[in-house]
Amino acid sequence: MDWNATLEFARGPFFTAALFVFVGGLTYRLVRVLTLGWSRDRVPSAGSKAGGVAKSYGKGLIIWPFVPWVKQTFAGNAVTLIAGGIFHLGLFAIIIFGAPHMLAWKSMLGFGWPTLPLPIIDWLAAAAIAAMVALAINRVANPLLRKLSGPAEALNWLFVFLPMLTGYMTTHHLLFRYEVIYSLHVLAVDVMLIWIPFSRISHFVFYFFSRTIHGAQFGKRAVTP
Amino acid sequence: MTKGSEPQETIYEHLRSKGVSRRDFVKYCGALAGTMAFCGVPAPVEASGLPASLAGPQADATPLIVRAFETKPRVPVIWLEFQDCAGCTEALTRSQSPTLGDLVLNEISIDYHETLFAAAGFQAEENRDAMMQKYHGQYVLVVEGSIPVADGGIHCTIGGRTALDLLEEAAEGAAAIISTGNCSSFGGLPKADPNPTEAKGVWEIITDKPVVNIPGCPAIPEVTTAVLLQFIVFGTLPELDDLNRPKTFYGQTIHDRCLRRPFYEAGKFAKSFDDEGARKGWCLYKLGCKGPTTYNACATIKWDAGLSFPIQSGHPCLGCSQPNFWDGGGFYQGQSAPLNRPGAAAVGVAAAAGAVVGAGAATANRMKKRRAGSAEPGDEDA
Ligand code: SF4
Repeated sequence: MDWNATLEFARGPFFTAALFVFVGGLTYRLVRVLTLGWSRDRVPSAGSKAGGVAKSYGKGLIIWPFVPWVKQTFAGNAVTLIAGGIFHLGLFAIIIFGAPHMLAWKSMLGFGWPTLPLPIIDWLAAAAIAAMVALAINRVANPLLRKLSGPAEALNWLFVFLPMLTGYMTTHHLLFRYEVIYSLHVLAVDVMLIWIPFSRISHFVFYFFSRTIHGAQFGKRAVTP
Repeated sequence: MTKGSEPQETIYEHLRSKGVSRRDFVKYCGALAGTMAFCGVPAPVEASGLPASLAGPQADATPLIVRAFETKPRVPVIWLEFQDCAGCTEALTRSQSPTLGDLVLNEISIDYHETLFAAAGFQAEENRDAMMQKYHGQYVLVVEGSIPVADGGIHCTIGGRTALDLLEEAAEGAAAIISTGNCSSFGGLPKADPNPTEAKGVWEIITDKPVVNIPGCPAIPEVTTAVLLQFIVFGTLPELDDLNRPKTFYGQTIHDRCLRRPFYEAGKFAKSFDDEGARKGWCLYKLGCKGPTTYNACATIKWDAGLSFPIQSGHPCLGCSQPNFWDGGGFYQGQSAPLNRPGAAAVGVAAAAGAVVGAGAATANRMKKRRAGSAEPGDEDA
């Protein structure tokens, strides 16, 4: 197999196509949600909508993840909260502050930023991969989560896990020649980009969407979200 | 350099006739053995006539070289240049071990080379034809530059004949073919997108003979001379990888043997050509280094008698020994970056397409609902 050509394909036309599906697909999903219908706002606001949105984000992004006992999640399933948290932290730190990823952003956005040293990225990556394995086991072991899980959940997990695993292997030159594992990493990312809009991984967009709407609603009614 | 002398005289006889003593001859063979150690002594040593036990990886190649030079005539070489810049020839004239001068005066006779040849025009062409006839099946064909095949190959002609025609004719009688440089190996610069002349590498055209690719821009001269030397001494070609490159020289990436590698591991990168990182010799990955995917021996053999190589001198690797390196993204763009930068307009089109399809689907749904007369309360506000 010609891995140079595979790498060119993965970094070139396939990536461009995947990016188009990603952008087009997410826009499609957003438009579908927006056109579901809005009720006309006939009642005067009892409180500040913007304040409600701010509180909602504060709770969702700061309090619940880091002060877990205020919510049932921790008591209900600590693995979900801890491993889920580590996974999200590692993932975002790596895709934004990993040197190769910053360079990919830079080539598309036209500007770059400082990156984290490899040893730090490395530990975050290892922790995120371990967290993903823990989450998978938890999902199978926990009777409630098992009931909630279908093939879509398994695929979501797989399509995120493969880029992370191949990325770690690429950095450390594990098992394969560099261009082979690097090709596999980029292919895995391309496939994930195509998969995201049509899966629940799109929550990274819709989370902010729904949190804004809910926050505004709570703010309007002057209740704490 | 004029027409080579009578190649039937053995190399040893040739050296003796030039007044080289036996002692100096053996010394010279010992020095060449050093070059051969780059590639290790290849297993099939029938050509040398010595026991195979002498040819283990640790064996001293000197006796094999002495024996070969005593029994073999100088190897005739025909060197064709097509779509090239003569950079490989330039580099070869600065080869250190053995020097091109050594090679030409002692082991090979270059019977046709457009850049180095004193003869020109029809005289040179006639000389080439005569050599190809006389040494049919014995000469080494070295090709520098790519071969255009578009429009019947008319984009590169010499003496009124196309490169394609000249190559096919010369390849037919060659004992071995060596492609030197990225152009003759993989198409090089002439093949860069949009490749108007449909430039190709030799091995894409000549498929019935082994072609040794020595890619690079230019090829490392010591690699070319080592391959030639192996053919002269052992009558064999080196073991090749799946891109027909000698495994000994192309078995590892630049990154594998890079002197800046510890900085890569530690995440210490130069971010510009004159920042603190650059001055401290940190890794050049962020300046677009292609070392991790580039197979070549620059980091070990280096250039100019082992003086330095691009990364040592502060410039990122361009990946010049890899296929299609001209189309492999910007030279100073990170290797992890996508090859094409999708323009904002194109991304906008993708978003617009998504929005149109989404809005279309929503409208269709609403009409369906209306037709079914099952509009839910609140829908009229939508
Ligand atoms: S300079 Fe290039 S080849 Fe050397 S370690 Fe850095 S990325 Fe690898």
